[in-house]
Amino acid sequence: MTGRIVAGLEGVAKAFGGLRAVDGVSLDIPAGEVVGIIGPNGAGKTVLINLITGFYHASDGQITIADHNVTQWTLHQIGRLGVARTFQNIRLFRRLSVLENVMVANPAFTAHPLRGLLALSPRRQGRDEAMDLLALFGLADRADQSAGELAYGDARRLEIARALATRPRLLLLDEPAAGMNDRETEALVDDIRKVKPRLEAIALIEHDMSLIRALADRVVAMNYGRIIAEGATGTVLSHPKVVEAYLGQEES
Amino acid sequence: MIANLLSTENIVFTGVNILLAWSVYLTLMTGTLSFAMAAFMGIGAYVSGILTAKFGWPLVPAALVGTLACLAGGILVGFPALRVRGLYLMLVTTGVTLVVKVAIENIEYVGGVGGMGGLRGTTPELVLASVVVIGGALWLLSRTPLQRIMDAAREDENVAASLGINIVFIRVAGFAAGAALAGYAGALYGHYIIFIAPEQFDILYSVFIALYVVLGGVNNLWGPVLGAVVITMLPEVVREFGVMSSGFRSARQLIFAGALVLLLLVRPAGILAFRRLSIRAGRGRVPVGST
Amino acid sequence: MLAEQIANGVVVGGLYALVALGFTLVFGLLDKLNFAHGEVVTLAGFVALVAVQLGASVWLAIPIVIVVTGLSGLLIELLSFRAFTSKEGHSVSALSSFALGIVILEVVRLEYGAAPLNLAIPTTIYTSGISILGAPIPWVKLATLGISVVLMIGLHVVVGHTRLGRQIRAVGEAPTSAMLLGIHVTRVIQYVFVVASALAGISGLLIAMQGGFVSSEVGFTFALKGIAIMAIGGMGDLRGAVLAGLLIGIAEGIAIHYGLGGFSDVLVWLVMIAVLLIRPEGLLGGGRREVRA
Repeated sequence: MTGRIVAGLEGVAKAFGGLRAVDGVSLDIPAGEVVGIIGPNGAGKTVLINLITGFYHASDGQITIADHNVTQWTLHQIGRLGVARTFQNIRLFRRLSVLENVMVANPAFTAHPLRGLLALSPRRQGRDEAMDLLALFGLADRADQSAGELAYGDARRLEIARALATRPRLLLLDEPAAGMNDRETEALVDDIRKVKPRLEAIALIEHDMSLIRALADRVVAMNYGRIIAEGATGTVLSHPKVVEAYLGQEES
Repeated sequence: MIANLLSTENIVFTGVNILLAWSVYLTLMTGTLSFAMAAFMGIGAYVSGILTAKFGWPLVPAALVGTLACLAGGILVGFPALRVRGLYLMLVTTGVTLVVKVAIENIEYVGGVGGMGGLRGTTPELVLASVVVIGGALWLLSRTPLQRIMDAAREDENVAASLGINIVFIRVAGFAAGAALAGYAGALYGHYIIFIAPEQFDILYSVFIALYVVLGGVNNLWGPVLGAVVITMLPEVVREFGVMSSGFRSARQLIFAGALVLLLLVRPAGILAFRRLSIRAGRGRVPVGST
Repeated sequence: MLAEQIANGVVVGGLYALVALGFTLVFGLLDKLNFAHGEVVTLAGFVALVAVQLGASVWLAIPIVIVVTGLSGLLIELLSFRAFTSKEGHSVSALSSFALGIVILEVVRLEYGAAPLNLAIPTTIYTSGISILGAPIPWVKLATLGISVVLMIGLHVVVGHTRLGRQIRAVGEAPTSAMLLGIHVTRVIQYVFVVASALAGISGLLIAMQGGFVSSEVGFTFALKGIAIMAIGGMGDLRGAVLAGLLIGIAEGIAIHYGLGGFSDVLVWLVMIAVLLIRPEGLLGGGRREVRA
């Protein structure tokens, strides 16, 4: 279980103008773990995910994924290395169908697009695997609908299915339970548990502490771009600095 | 009337315009609206024309060399140019068309401003066969994973990239493929009209091709066909019914442009703006685990 | 003589800049290109012609042109811009306004044909004038330059120092926030189209005055230059557009002096391609998403 590091950050910083949104974060995501990342709004959690996935490039520090220094890599290079994510504000290909959204992520073709010209049969395009993935998330009977028509919860699940279709080693979930009711959140916990064996590690940004408690092996709490507490889930959630950070937010 | 509509000239021009509309469509599939099509059309016509008129090559191999020249040109222009997007790219590709035209005007070997003659060999059969073959290829493309990858790259390029898709490659490939197709259409066009001159490959031609595509719609293969056929055939239809015999050229453009402005207001994505699924879940299949 | 060609270049460059400012205003506000702008330049000459033919004096024709071209701006905004707010709206507006430009052009051509038509302008404004550093500058050029400069300063004052200017800049930066601040966004956009089109109208008059004729070709020629100059100046940067217009005008004057006039049309586009690929923020740099005075 322990030992191998899937993703490692060393003194990573990102500044926008004068604002240091992420300010010297060091963090390891070891194989086999679900790491929860918590913190009040504006703490730099999403920026952190954007840095790991290559949406932003770090102003300082080093990011290592699967033993590669990926600090200056482009989006698609990091994607091909096996890092997949979802977005806080769902970003599906709205005009593609549900099935197409999953199939487009098939690494056999994303890495070699021209090879796609030779794959004319649905089987060779990986439709069966994509349908299985949709079935896992209860979306199979919506396969031919356009993704833009999906209800909110379905759209969230489709985004996770699309991310999994890249066969990632590391999955980064940015507030997957946002906007969901308790029942949907419980179902989401089950879904994530189901897919966990397919992945080396998961990082999970979430405000919903029930989700964090149910899934995270370890929690990192952030505020003002820095890590303020780190460790076992229960310990961090009751850490005075963490409580204070959240209370401070509620007062303002 | 039908006989007139199906005159050799109409078939060739309609076919060439369909190929050109598809070249814009192919480029647009990767999210790039290019105004460089007239430039590539000109390069295709001139390169193939040199081979046939000056070296006595048969048309088809000469046209294929012209196509390859445009493919190479598309890659060469695409790499630097596709760093910019949207209107910026529209301006850069406009510049490409203007620059290529002036460049040809200054090459004495191909007659400069005066143009070059002796291009022969395009038959309606060849044009029709080209339309069928290329249309078939595009239809097959629309059912492949590559089509989905291009769709995704157009919809949200950053998300597509994070899935592992090399956006630069996809965009340059789409641009170069469109350039190659425009070059091929240019070769066919040049070898029908016999005499080519730089002024024929003007920026206005580029814009008009884009307008055909907009008229028809860009979400499937048939929109550009509809646009090209309507625009090429419309003047003939109008003439047949005896409407507006004088000032005809102006009236044609006026009607076309006016119709386009109104059409865009009603249907901004074009007349045939439905999207075809590249794949379906399949009938009767019960997916594992579904209830 | 070089000094004379440079002086000509300054005058022509001023006209390029005036046309470019119209493109720049709209781009700075909406991030969109108004391809119909050039044909408003054409329209201006023919409106003047019609007004004079109908018996209006030259001094009455000028305000008529300004009003008609200004109103054409409202029409362009309504038909080719207002409805297209989607992600593809930029391209659709560009194509729609291009088509609308063709409509304007072809209406003119249906009525007057494609050949240039002479205006009865007294020849003294071309033959007499003053001399600067030995270069003869006829009155027409002096007047053109003077009017261009006044208009540029006026625009600078309006955009930089008036309430409307502040609203224009606010809408250009963040239309949603501008709306929340109580700015009537559509109204501001309409004002900008009116101002830009009226500028095109005055440019059209000045251009017609240069040669003493009106032609349906001028709009397209000046539009091609104006768009490239807008881009060189930095898409949305008013000062950049003026500077780029003058530089290109002078460069063309020098090119003509050395017998390279044939390349002047493509020169500006080569420069534009280089600027867009190497320094897309334009000559003066800075942000490109807002209107700047």
